[in-house]
Order: sequence, then structure tokens, then C-alpha cells
Amino acid sequence: MRILSKEDFADFVNALIKDDAWDVIGVKAKGDKFAFGPLESAGELRLDYDVTLLPPKKYFFPQRETLFTYNLAGGFSAKNPAEAKPTVILGVHPYDIIALFHMDEIFRETKSDPYYFDKRKSSIIIGVNIQKMSKWNFSPFMGCATVDYGYDLMLTDLGNRYAISVGSQKGGELLSKYAKNVTEALARDIQLVGQKKREIVNMSQQKFDFSPELIPELLKKTYEESDFWERHSEKCLACGSCVLVCPTCYCFDVKDDPDLSLNQGERIRTWDGCLLEDFAKVASGENFRATRPTRYRHRYFKKGKYLFDRFGFISCVGCGRCSSNCLPDIANPVNLFNDMYREHAHNGVQVAVAESPKVSIQTEGNIDYVPNLATIIKKEQMTTNEMFLEIKLDDGSDLGHKPGQFVEVSVFGVGEAPISLSSPPTKRGSFEICVRKLGNVTTKLHMLKVGDRVGIRGPFGNGFDLDFLKGKNLLFVAGGLGIAPLRSLFNYVLDNRKDFGHVSLLYGCKEPRELLFKDEMVALQSRPDVEFKSAVNWCPDGEAWTGSIGVITTLIPQVSFDPDNIYAIICGPPVMYKYVIGDLKARKVPDDHIIVSLERRMKCGVGKCGHCQINEIYVCKDGPVFNYSKIKGVPEAL
Amino acid sequence: MKPKVAFFDFAGCEGDQLQVANLEEELLALLGQVEVVSFREVMKEQSDDYDIAFVEGSCTRLQDEERLKQIRSNAKIVVAIGSCATIGGINSLRNYKDLDQVRKTVYGEQAKLFDTYAARPIDAVVKVDAYVHGCPINQKEFLQVVKSLLMGKRPDIPTYPVCVECKKNENVCAFERGEFCVGPVTRAGCDSCCVNEGTVCWGCRGLVDNPNENSQKEILIKYGLTVDDAIGKFKMYFGWQEAKR
Repeated sequence: MRILSKEDFADFVNALIKDDAWDVIGVKAKGDKFAFGPLESAGELRLDYDVTLLPPKKYFFPQRETLFTYNLAGGFSAKNPAEAKPTVILGVHPYDIIALFHMDEIFRETKSDPYYFDKRKSSIIIGVNIQKMSKWNFSPFMGCATVDYGYDLMLTDLGNRYAISVGSQKGGELLSKYAKNVTEALARDIQLVGQKKREIVNMSQQKFDFSPELIPELLKKTYEESDFWERHSEKCLACGSCVLVCPTCYCFDVKDDPDLSLNQGERIRTWDGCLLEDFAKVASGENFRATRPTRYRHRYFKKGKYLFDRFGFISCVGCGRCSSNCLPDIANPVNLFNDMYREHAHNGVQVAVAESPKVSIQTEGNIDYVPNLATIIKKEQMTTNEMFLEIKLDDGSDLGHKPGQFVEVSVFGVGEAPISLSSPPTKRGSFEICVRKLGNVTTKLHMLKVGDRVGIRGPFGNGFDLDFLKGKNLLFVAGGLGIAPLRSLFNYVLDNRKDFGHVSLLYGCKEPRELLFKDEMVALQSRPDVEFKSAVNWCPDGEAWTGSIGVITTLIPQVSFDPDNIYAIICGPPVMYKYVIGDLKARKVPDDHIIVSLERRMKCGVGKCGHCQINEIYVCKDGPVFNYSKIKGVPEAL
Repeated sequence: MKPKVAFFDFAGCEGDQLQVANLEEELLALLGQVEVVSFREVMKEQSDDYDIAFVEGSCTRLQDEERLKQIRSNAKIVVAIGSCATIGGINSLRNYKDLDQVRKTVYGEQAKLFDTYAARPIDAVVKVDAYVHGCPINQKEFLQVVKSLLMGKRPDIPTYPVCVECKKNENVCAFERGEFCVGPVTRAGCDSCCVNEGTVCWGCRGLVDNPNENSQKEILIKYGLTVDDAIGKFKMYFGWQEAKR
């Protein structure tokens, strides 16, 4: 530990500011509040602050960030943003340092986010121990009021001087380069710092009535209590303030921002929040978390349960920003959890400490947000609303996908949309998708011509487990556009027909004119090695229809199978699943013989942006293909 | 061929058209994409041959409807610009009063010469394809909407309230400054411009699709407004929307 007088510390800060090699950020006054901002002189620095309006995460994961700029003139070129400038961030409280540690884990899981880590690596964090604690702060209860890691330097105010703990080599070098008259701390000062840290732990004006270690299990017992969630969220404005100010929230949206030439522009990501109304809404209009209580509940579960199960920590550091920013005062986690605990205790429910989850965070390379350029080589209108597109990557490579995976398709200037792959990997050189005209991107895709360019990212998602399905009897159940993803597997099976047992396809849609892949369906009828049944909800007078009339489930009694020796593979509109699964279960098909492919709002494709989450599951990464036995207990799934 | 655009005004202050006329550097880039055929505020030429009609102002009398329907039938796309056109705007304040009395107050003895009815947004009369909210409109958002229309894309108008933008802009909450704000129920998209400048949100962009009005009123009262003043806050811009809900 080192010691620096306050005068010498001010000189140190001014010396840093004077050196153009650094951007120097510090805590400054903003009205009666405080905010991190660029420092012009050491005099502006307010290390006696209670809490800043926004956490310092805005320097690593900004409110609005350019992922790349594009130019369509003369083909297509994309440019990544310039590398981050080295930055010193001065005055970070311990809870915000721990929050950054949480963000690090989230941004490196599966695929590492280069935008975040580029800025993280080029920055130096100078922490400061809390001098004044905001009245909403409960960081001591979360074990986040003090910290022994995650900083380059850590300051403790000792009256006329700062005690400085050096946490990294970078920090030590910064100190020796820019600070004068640094001395080694005497035993007395080290003792004083220890005493200050012990005092901080007792500074909170908030109080948990129980150990926060119980939170994950407590939440688990409260999920189904809709009355509890409705009561607590009655006043929720769905304004998103609680999540937007949170130091560990990381959900984002991705959009295109073209300039007026319409030929160039940028793809940006902006902060988003799971409390906001359209967060889980897909282009078809289906909103998977449409009500305020379910979104309100999701926030607490995300922090206290889902991230705990995934990473082993409760993703709340107790900064109290959510509490202080909530106008109806319903976002304070301390109040909510105390209520929850009290109601359980009153009902005699015992809550245990959750078992520590097995955490193994793997990083497989970086996320690349810049799509690969591809060309539409075939286009065919299948119905009024569905278009078949065959696409070839411009670099000539195969997409290399598995059946059941999806790609993010870009129309530059309009945006990106997740679309299932319809062709089997056995088809080389190009791939196929079936696009329903729903949102901006899909509408635009319908308007493109053969030879037009699109962007492709992916393939994403898990896809079907081909090795597992090999040799099995398969029953495909497709409703409407659900045939599109299933076709990638179905055609794969046909291309390798001898590797599979009995194969049936049940396909239903609203009316004959909505039938997709009509020619292929007709061809199936004459194939002896495939059983094919189709149904329409209704058939207008005068139209030819030889299949059944009724919903998809009318087809299930028409096929005979040994339930223990069949695997059902289902995809269709959200409403379809429970009926089809219900009928299959009535036929004694075991749960783990049912495989579903689910639709959600998939924006990033790599388990980061948060939109496709169903409870703890990221559909884009853990799915979209699920074994029913694994998700039947996941309430938001079906 | 560049799409032809025309500007029209009904009851309003023409402040939204002024925002367009004041686009400065962007104006040239905009004129590179569209041909303006009618725009009374900046040019004397006029034409009935246009693809996109930008309509400012609210309908305040029956005669307005005829003219508006004519515009609708001439145009492929109708865009409402500014609060008066998108949500009825402050014109709707008078809907809370006796309209005969309103006429007398404004026109005195000549009152019976001037027709009137409850002020309303233009989508109460004709189908509207896109909205540029605000009083006045935000230039950046206007351009955003124009770009979207040119690209055949549905304009991206937020469904969340102004608080989202306030938080991103790191504003000190108006309530914490001892002021009263309707940002929590007002549609965002303005980049919280008023609060950024140290004042409050008045609600000019109208209510979000699913506002929690009771909670918002409770907050206004909790922070010290009288019930009447809290209701007054809602009347300022939300009159037409509230009457419809």
C-alpha cells in the first residue's frame, strides 16, 4: 500500500489529464447528483460522491454503439469502429467494480464480445472506497461494499492523504509515471484502511431480513404466485428505469441507421430493457412477455436466479440505483425480497440456500457482427406471404449448417432478422430459406430480386441432433410456416433415407393456397418410403383439396406408431404445441421422445442481447431445438 | 424518379413545417431524395400531384374533413407531423370546455360565423400511414421517418416512455429536482430533449400504447401536485387520447 498526499494526488490527476495518451474520466457533480464524465481538472473530481446516475459500464458498453459502418456504393464494404483510446476511469466504487466483473463473464460466455473487451482492455480502473453511502445502497448485504480485486488502483481517503492499493502492474506503472512523492504506507495507515473498510460494511440504511444467499431458492418458490407479482407490479410504469440504470444489465437492441444517401450507414446497438413492452415481441405480433407482472418478475428472476444458475453469482451488487430511480417505489430489491421472505415464513415454507451451480464458462472465439455477403440466386413466390429464396455466399463457401439452425439475414439499411434454414446440409454450394412477409426485413426481402445482395450471419443455434436421430422412426408435425425449419431435417432424412426408420410427415395449414413447398408435398404422396398426411383448417368452395379438413391434430389419429419407438419432431405457431403434445402424450409417447423447435425474438444470435430468453434459456444458443422433457418444466417455453 | 412530396396544414402553428424548412445542411440531402411540389411556407408553386403528403395541424371543423380526405385520395402515403396532427395536440384542450363558449371567447360577436367541433388528430378522419410526433417535431426523427418511407420500411417509433431516453442521457430525474413530469407515460423518440435542457416532459408526443395512468397520477400527487393539477398535466396534450380510452 502507498500513500499520496491530497495535493500530490491532485497533481497526479492533472498530469494524467495533461497527457493526450489518455482519456481521463472521473466522477463529477451533476445538479445535486453525480455522474462519470471527462475530467478537465482534478478540481472537478468528487470522490466523496454517494452514487453516480449511471454506472461506469457506459464506457465499455455505451448507450449507443456502432458495430460497423457500411457502404453499398460499388458493392459492399463494412468497417469496424476504430480501436478504443486508452482511458483512465477515476473514482469507481467497489460495487461497480464487481458489476464490471459480472459483465465480463456475461460478455465472454460462448462468444466473446470484442467491442466490450477492446474498451475493457484499454482502460485503467482507479477505484475509491465508499465515503458516503446512498440511502438506497445495500451493497454490504450483497458482499459488494468493498473489493479486493478488479481494480488497477484503489484509493481510501485518510483525511489529508489517500492510501492507494495497487491491484495491477498497469496501476503501479501509472502511479510511478505520473505521481510524485509516493511513499510506502506505515502500519498505522494500513490499519486505518482496514478500519474504514469495516465501517463501510455497516453504513447501509437498507436491511435484509434474511440472508441474500436464499434469494435463488426463494424466487424458485415464488414463480407461480401470480398474485404476488401482480400486487408488486401494479404501479409499474414499464418505463425501464430500473434496468437502464443497472450496472449489470446488458440487454441490447440492434438497428440500422442509414444516412440520407440511403447507400451508407451504420449498424448500431443500443441499450434495451426487459421491462419494456416490446422486448419479447416478434414480427408476427406475438409478444412472449406481454404483461407488466411477467416482465417485472423476469427482471428479478434474471438477477436472482437465471444468472445465478448460469454463472454462480446473484447479478445484483446492491448499488440501489434501481430503487432510487423507480418513481412508484416498487423496484427496491430489498423490499421485494423481504416481502417474499415474510410471506413464505408466514406460510411456514422453508427456504434453503441454493446449491452452488456447476459453472463452466467457455469462450469459443469472438462474435462477428459484420455479416458475410451473399447473393440471391433463386426466388420463388410460394404463397401471397411466403417467398422461397436460394442464397449463395459470395466467397463460395458452404454455410456448413445443421438442420434446425437459423441465420441472421441482413438487408443493409433496414436491419437483420433471424430466419430458419430450410435446406439440408446435404445441399452444397447454396442454402434455402422460406420468408414470411411480416416485419421490415422480411418485407424488404420479398422485394429483392435475383442477383441482389444480402448479409448473412450464422448459422446459429443447436440444430437437430442427427447422430441421435439416426436409425429412429420419425414423426414430423409441421404447422404453417413450421414446415420451413423442419424441411431442413426432413430433406436430410430423405437424402439419407436408409439411415432412418419409418418416416411420417403431418402437415397442416389454414387453407390450400397457403400450402408451402407444394410440389415437394405432391411428390411425397407417391413415395412408398414416407407416410404423408396433410390438413387445412378450411377449404374454400371450388378449390381442390384431397387431404383432411381440420386443425393439425386431426392428423394424429390417422397414423399408427409404437409410442416407445418413435420420435416426434414438432414446429409450428406458438398456439399449436400444447395441443399436439397433448395428443401425442395421450398416445403414450414419452416426453423425451418429443422434440420441438421454438420461435423467439433472436437479435444477436449468440446469447447476449436477452430478447429470446425463455426463463433461464437462450433460444438462440440453447435452442431453437429442444427435447420436450427438458423444457416441459420451463413455464415460458410453451 | 424521386417521389413527390407536399406539405399541408390544418389548425396548428406551422412550427413543424418550420422545423423542416430549418433543416439546413440536411435539406439539400433531403432534396436529393424527394421533389417538393407544395410547401406553402417556403415556396409559391403548388401541385395536386404528389406521392407523400405531410400534414400538420388538427381537424377542428367539419370543412377540414373534406380537404383532408382530398389530400388522402391524392397521396399514396399520408404522414401526420406534429402533435396537433398526431394526437390532437393542445388544440384538444378546448374539448374540455363548452365549444360555444370557446367560440364566443375567441370570436366575440362574430362567433356564429365560425364553425367548430372537438379538435382531433387527422387519423380520426383519414387513414394515416406514419407519424412524426412532437411539438414541434424533432428534425432527426423527421428525417428518420422520411428515410424509412423511402426504403419501404415501417418507421421505428418507440413504444416505450421518455424515461428510457432520460436514463440513457443520464438526466437528473425532474421529480428529484422538485418538478413534475409526464415522461413516464409519454412516448419516447424525442431523445428526452426537454429534460436534457433542464425542464420537464409535457407529453407532446402523446401517451404510450399502454400507459399506467393511475400510477403516473399517483406519483404526481405523491410528489406534491394537487389532484386537479395532476389531471391538468394530462389534459395538456393527452386530451383526445384520454377521451378515446
